[in-house]
Amino acid sequence: MKILGISAHYHDSAAALVIDGMPVCAVQEERLSRRKGDASFPLSAIEWCLDHTHLEPEAIDAVVYYERPMLKFERILTCALRAFPHSWRAFPKAMQNSLGEKVWVRGIISSHLGVPRSRILFTEHHQSHAAAAFLTAPTRRAAILTTDGVGEWATLAVGHGERKPDGNTEITLLREIRFPHSLGMLYSTFTAYLGFAVNEDEYKVMGLAGYGRPTMVDQVRRVIRRTPDGAFTLDLDYFEFHTTTERSYSDRFVELFGPPRNSYEPIDLETAEGQRFADCAASVQRVLEDTLVGIARALCQETGLTDLCLGGGVALNGVANARILAESGFERVFVPSAPGDAGCALGAALYADRIHFGNPDRDVPDHPFWGPPADGVELARLAREDGHRFEELDDSTLIEQTAADLAAGRVVGWMDGALELGPRALGHRSILAAPHAVAMRDRLNRDIKFREEFRPFAPVVPIESADRYFELPPGGARLARFMSGIFPVRKEWRQRLAAVTHVDGTARVQVLEHAMAPRLHTLLEAYGRRSGIPVLLNTSFNLAGEPIVNRVVEGYTTFRRSGIDVLVAGQTRLTKRASPLANAKEEVTCSRSVDRSSAR
Amino acid sequence: MIFEMFRPVHRWIWCDAERRAHKLLRFGETETDGGRDLVRASEMTPDSLLRRLYLEHAIDEHRHGVMFRRRGNEILRSLAPGSNSSFQADWLAPSGHGVDDLRVDEEPDEALLAFLHLSEKTAADRFSVYRDVLENDIPTRAIFEEILRDEVFHMNYTLTQLARVSPQRHGRTLWYERLRRIWKSYLRLAAALGAVIGGFILIVQYFVILPPFAWLAKRVERRESRGWTAISPQSNRSLQRQY
Repeated sequence: MKILGISAHYHDSAAALVIDGMPVCAVQEERLSRRKGDASFPLSAIEWCLDHTHLEPEAIDAVVYYERPMLKFERILTCALRAFPHSWRAFPKAMQNSLGEKVWVRGIISSHLGVPRSRILFTEHHQSHAAAAFLTAPTRRAAILTTDGVGEWATLAVGHGERKPDGNTEITLLREIRFPHSLGMLYSTFTAYLGFAVNEDEYKVMGLAGYGRPTMVDQVRRVIRRTPDGAFTLDLDYFEFHTTTERSYSDRFVELFGPPRNSYEPIDLETAEGQRFADCAASVQRVLEDTLVGIARALCQETGLTDLCLGGGVALNGVANARILAESGFERVFVPSAPGDAGCALGAALYADRIHFGNPDRDVPDHPFWGPPADGVELARLAREDGHRFEELDDSTLIEQTAADLAAGRVVGWMDGALELGPRALGHRSILAAPHAVAMRDRLNRDIKFREEFRPFAPVVPIESADRYFELPPGGARLARFMSGIFPVRKEWRQRLAAVTHVDGTARVQVLEHAMAPRLHTLLEAYGRRSGIPVLLNTSFNLAGEPIVNRVVEGYTTFRRSGIDVLVAGQTRLTKRASPLANAKEEVTCSRSVDRSSAR
Repeated sequence: MIFEMFRPVHRWIWCDAERRAHKLLRFGETETDGGRDLVRASEMTPDSLLRRLYLEHAIDEHRHGVMFRRRGNEILRSLAPGSNSSFQADWLAPSGHGVDDLRVDEEPDEALLAFLHLSEKTAADRFSVYRDVLENDIPTRAIFEEILRDEVFHMNYTLTQLARVSPQRHGRTLWYERLRRIWKSYLRLAAALGAVIGGFILIVQYFVILPPFAWLAKRVERRESRGWTAISPQSNRSLQRQY
C-alpha cells in the first residue's frame, strides 16, 4: 500500500511517502524551493517523492493531509466572533487567507495530483504529531504528549499508544487544551516581544535564556496560570494573537514586562536593557519547563508507562525536554527528528497506514535521513568548471584528510548521503569544526553563519565517548540522538570544548551511533585520534535566513559565499583558492562588448 | 526620470534620522533577499560563466545588505532613546529593487538577465537620487556611492551576458521585459485593489451579519470550562472528513 502524507499551508510544508508500512522518503518543501519555512503546497516535495520511487500519482492508494481544514476554519471563525468587535481588522485577512486556498485542500490535492477525491484523507493535527512521535520511536507502549502553537483547536494533547504483538496499533488521545490557551503561542509571543521572528526564531529565545536569570517568573505566571485540573490558561488581557494579526502581545503585556525589543537592534548583554531581555527569555523558559514537567509528571502517574513520546513544535525545546526526562518519572523520552509540522507529513501517512487501514505494525528505521542524496560527482564537475582545486579520494584517505583539516582549525562543509528530515543537521548536511576554542564559535557566527554572537553551537560525539564529556542522565543518549536534549558539559572538559559549551555550561549534544551515520562516526574517531577528543562542532549547513542545503550545488554556493574552508561531498574534497572570484570579472571584461544603445 | 522629479520629497524623507535608519535597515533586508534570489539563479543555471557571475552578484548584494544594516544600526544607536518617527514613507522611497518580483525558478537565463539588467538600472537611478539628497550624512552617502559602483558592474555584465546567450534577440528581450514589468505592475496594482475591495466587503459583512453570531459565540464561550477538554472516542472519526 502506497500512502502519501502532506503537511502544508501554515509553516514548513513537507511530503512523505510510506510504502507497505515503511517510510521510503520525506522532504520539506523549503529544502527544494530554497525559501526558508516554505508553507506553500509542497508540489516539489511530492514530485521528488514520486520521482524517487518511480511512481505515478495514480499508483498512490491514499493521500493524507495532516489536519482537518474545515475544523481549523471553524476555529478561526469562532475566534473572530468571540473577539467581536475587536477582530474587525483581522477578520478580512483571516477570511481571505482561509477562503483563498486553505479550506479547499481536497480540491487542490486532487487537481495537482489527479487522484480521486475519495482517496484523500484527513487526520487531526495532533493525531499527526502523535503518530510522528510514537510510530517512529523504537518503543512498543508509550505515553504521548504533543504541544505546539495550535492545530485545529488543540494546542496540547496527551494520550498513549501501543503497538500490539498481533500487529495492531492503537493511538488514543485522552484530553487536550484548546486555543487560545497555548504554550506554543505563549513562547511565540515572547519570541515576538524579544524582536525575533515568530515560528522561526523560538530557539533564539532558548539560547538567549542561558544568558539571563529567571527574575520575571512571577510576571510570567500572571500571564499563564495553572488550572486546578493540572492544565493551564492564558490571561488573554495580556495577548492579542487571538484578535489581531498585527501584534501578539497587548499594551498590558508591555506594562508588565517593559518596552519590547526593536528587531533591528542587536542584543547587547553588557547593557541593562540587553540583560532585561535575557532575563525575560530565562523567565518564560523556566515557566514553560515547569508547566511541561508538571503535565508530563501527571501523565506518567496516570499511565504508569516508562516511555514518553513528545511531538509538536514545542518538543524542539531541548532544555525543557531534558527536564522532562530528569523530573517527570519517565525513563525514556523520544522526540522525532522533525517534531514540528514538517514531521506531520510522515505522521499522517503512518497514522493512516496503521490506524485507518489497519495494516500490521512495522519497525520504522531509527534515523532522520529520508531526503535527496548528495552527489560528490556533481561537486567535482562544478569545481572543474570553475577552476577550483579538488580531489576525489577513497573513503579512508578522505576521512583522514578531513580530520587533519579539522585539527588544523579549518571549517568543513560536510555533505553525505540522504538529507535529514527536520530542522537539525544530524550529520549529512553539516558544517563541522574543531570544538575547542571560543574563537571558533565567534568565527562561525561572524564569518560563516552571519548570526548573533549569543547563539551557541552544538557538538556531536560518538555514543561510546559521550559519557566522558557530557553529563547524560539515564535515557539522555536516546534524547540526544536527534539533538533533542540539552545536557551539561562535564566541568573538566568545558574549557577544551569552549566552542560548543553554552554560557550556562550546557550543550545541545548529538550522540551518534555508528549505524546512523557511519562516515561521520568514523570521522569523529579519526579526529579523536589526532586531537585526543572525539567531539566536533556540528551546525547546520546553511547561512542565516536560508534553509539547510540539499543538493551539492547549494552546498557549493554556500561554500563560496562564506568562510567555509573545505567542502566534502561524497568522495570529493574541495578547498578554497586565494581569490576565486577574480575570474568572473575578468571573464566578463574579456567577453565581447555590446553596443548598449542598440540593445536598448 | 519621474523619480528624479521627486527629489525634494526624497530630501524630506531622508532628512529624518530615525526614518533614515529604518529605511536603511529595510534596504538591507531587500538587498539580502535579492542576494538569495541570485544565489538560487546561480544554482539553477546550466551556464558555468553565468553561475560564477550570479554568485559574484549575490555576494555583492549580501555585502550591500550588511552595509545598509550596519549603518542603519549606527544611526539608531546615535538617537535619543524613545525617539519615534511616525511616517516611514516606504512607498515613496523604495529600496534598490523596489517592488520587483523575481521568480528565479521559472525564468530562463535570457529573461533573467534582461530582468536583472532593468532592475539594476532602476536601482541605480534611485540610489543616485538618494546619494544626492544625503549631503549632510557623509557615511550613508559613501555607502550609496560604493553600491552605485557595483551597480555599474551589474548593469554591464547583465547586458553583456544577455548579448552572449541571446545574440540575435537581446534587444527584443529587453523590450519584452520592459513590457512585462509594466504588466506585472498592473497585476500587482489590480491584486492590491481587489484585496482592498474584498476587505471592505468583508468588513461590511462583519458588522452587518456577524453581531448575532458573535453574541452566541460569546455566550457559548462563557460556559466553556478552563483547562483540560476530554477527547471522546468518537472524535477519532473517519479520515474521509475534513471537519
